[in-house]
Amino acid sequence: MLGAVQSIQVPMRKFREMEEVDYVIIGVGSAGGVLLQRLSRAGFNVVGLEAGPFWDTEHDWVSDEAGSHELYWEEPRVTGGSDPLALGANNCGKGVGGGSVHWAAFTPRLHPSDFQIYTRDGVGTDWPISYADIQPYYEQLELEMPVAGPAYYPWGHPHGYPYGPHPMGGAGNALVRGCSALNIPVSIGGPVAILSGSHGDRPHCIYRGFCIQGCKVGAKASTLITHVPDALNSGAEIRDHSMVGRVSLGKNGRVSGVHYFDQDGNEHFQRARAVIISGYAIETPRLLLNSACPGFENGLANSSGTVGRYLMAQAGTVVLGRFDQLVRVYKAPPAHALTEEFYETNPKNDFARGFAIQTVGPLPIAFGMQMVAAKKAWGWGLRREMMDYNHWASFGLLGEILPWPENRVTLDEEKDRFGLPIAHVSFNLHDNDHKLIKAATARTIEVMQAAGAEEITHEARYAHLVGAARMGSDPSASVVDKFGRTHDIPNLFICDGSIMPTQGSANPGLTIQSLAARTADYLISQGDRVFTSSDRDMTSPPIRRNLAPPGTRGKGVPRLT
Amino acid sequence: MKPEVPDTALLPIDPDSGEPIMPRPQPGYYCGFSTLSQKPFWDDATRKVVLERVEQQEPIRFFNPAQARFWTTVFDHLIPQTDRIPEHRIPILPALDKRLFLGRTVGYRFEDMPQDRDVYLIGMDAIDQEAQQQFGGGFLSLPHLQQDLVLKAIHDGKPKGVVDIWRRMSVHRFWQQIMQDAIDAYYAHPWAWDEIGFGGPAYPRAYMRLERGEPEPWEVAEQRYAWLTPSHAASGESETTHEFHTEALQNRSHSKNT
Repeated sequence: MLGAVQSIQVPMRKFREMEEVDYVIIGVGSAGGVLLQRLSRAGFNVVGLEAGPFWDTEHDWVSDEAGSHELYWEEPRVTGGSDPLALGANNCGKGVGGGSVHWAAFTPRLHPSDFQIYTRDGVGTDWPISYADIQPYYEQLELEMPVAGPAYYPWGHPHGYPYGPHPMGGAGNALVRGCSALNIPVSIGGPVAILSGSHGDRPHCIYRGFCIQGCKVGAKASTLITHVPDALNSGAEIRDHSMVGRVSLGKNGRVSGVHYFDQDGNEHFQRARAVIISGYAIETPRLLLNSACPGFENGLANSSGTVGRYLMAQAGTVVLGRFDQLVRVYKAPPAHALTEEFYETNPKNDFARGFAIQTVGPLPIAFGMQMVAAKKAWGWGLRREMMDYNHWASFGLLGEILPWPENRVTLDEEKDRFGLPIAHVSFNLHDNDHKLIKAATARTIEVMQAAGAEEITHEARYAHLVGAARMGSDPSASVVDKFGRTHDIPNLFICDGSIMPTQGSANPGLTIQSLAARTADYLISQGDRVFTSSDRDMTSPPIRRNLAPPGTRGKGVPRLT
Repeated sequence: MKPEVPDTALLPIDPDSGEPIMPRPQPGYYCGFSTLSQKPFWDDATRKVVLERVEQQEPIRFFNPAQARFWTTVFDHLIPQTDRIPEHRIPILPALDKRLFLGRTVGYRFEDMPQDRDVYLIGMDAIDQEAQQQFGGGFLSLPHLQQDLVLKAIHDGKPKGVVDIWRRMSVHRFWQQIMQDAIDAYYAHPWAWDEIGFGGPAYPRAYMRLERGEPEPWEVAEQRYAWLTPSHAASGESETTHEFHTEALQNRSHSKNT
């Protein structure tokens, strides 16, 4: 009676060992999955090399916290600085689909102000593109995922969502109650890349709460189910369990391919006419640094010295409130309501930029660690707090931390199982960050109080990772140009969260996929020139909606764009 | 076999009668709730993972018997289970032993911490020396309450002895790590889910009642009872107030103590 609700079964093309392909994409995650789909659909020969497995979701994924470690990047890394970041399950995916497999799937857009915070507030840096450049891609990816949310979303550039909002769970009801009591506008039931109604062969959400353990249902969008099937149908190849150790530079100043290890540790070389690195904010700079070679002694494409620098995470302090009545926070997606009312710089504050307040839905193990961190609970005290698990609701603030050069990825002395130096991550908060986190925590606690919580506590933590190979128009202060092409090497591109110069207070997943679709349009417009010419055409390409996965067009109509 | 006679000093107390509450198969406020009773409605992969956890006894391969005894005793304090009947206690050590044996990490190591395996070897030394410093005996030789107090000093970030070890290993992060491993094992077990009223796996059947904390037809309503921490325990208190601090300030306050 009960069984597989859906499966992914697509025959895959295999390129020959020594065959030169047009593009190698390193990392088939949020960005890599979209790039693979677009470039193969446009007719290029593309291979995606993915360090983790190609998931068989029905067999590999479980509704279980402790059983889901394979989804996360748990290879060794060292983390430090004055405010060390937790990595692994917190922010790093592994396997086809990458982080989009374990994200909570909140998909707010960046605001127009995010693209020029240096001009407006004298902090951070401006992007080399504006909101208008990325807006059509936001609209397009919101259809491709697709995104469920309210018909009118009031913040940033106001817009509506193509699929209807989700019903509310306990945490969302608390957020709406608290915000409403304080006259704070709140977005109910989204925006999340989780289906509120069935879509093609994908069923609707069943509210089981295990979003970040991988959505077995197929309701939550991951590039594994939204873009990879069409990529394979269009002739792309994905080699899973393939860990790239080095990008190889040819004598002509262009990259010639990549060295990678297969599951058994055997080394291979894949020749390519162009290479796109989509390894996210730690593995991308690590790979560039590990690819140092004559002419690039400090790391490939690192003439600026900025590879690995300006790494960002968002403040993700969790505020927990205990309610007299039961909440049962494990039902419904962790992500389903938020407010961006405090997103923009407010001249009354003693800091620049702002924050969002969102629902989170910790399952028992995560909640236990929050009780340890927030309440110093252990022993009988921990058992007692845990027996009240169903009485607690949680909000996560999402606060903008500014880009700082000393927040960076470097290489450690320790090596991984392939003999590659592992990443050392150093993270330090600065004055603006401290002030913002303090104010955001106080405001979130105020909302929790207004919601009726009788006891409130909080745990300081961070969410997401971006930066460390940022885009910019000045080659001496950034790694890639506005299309993701490295300033130093004409056929080497980077496309993932690492190219974001700043991060706003929006979850980065939608922006990462939108940037990938834009880079793909650029590459398609440039055609063979990418493989032969060193000219840098900075003309923006037209958006190619006809290259979207089939089934996108005509489904889900935004009420307001 | 003789039934185990529970040490009443280690049992939770009924505040009305002042009497110890006898060990139960299922403590907590959801009497009659069983996630495992729903296993026919789980998907195969999930059912396999969860049932193996309940039914299979994992071998101990990383720790030697003395080390295994030491850490089992420590975990009996980090997550005490004397309120459970012996057949319904949740094993903690095997999951940790498996992780260390296979060399699995959580994907990062703090720069002020040794490798995970070393944490557990150095940690035994640290706990033993703290026991010597406080009570003049090895940790395992101490009575239960004194063992609790030794661990509480580390929990508080205020160990009285072994300065050299805490220079090499952050006391705060050491505590976080052993608590994480304890919680990873205990709250991964369906008996712990029953205890706290967590509904557990719900694919492909779905949850249907999302609002007001109402139970699904197969869940049960909460039935609260009052209980006091056992008399021989130092772990009953949790912080009830919150301060405004960032993670950095927490770290600084801990590094002052080390």
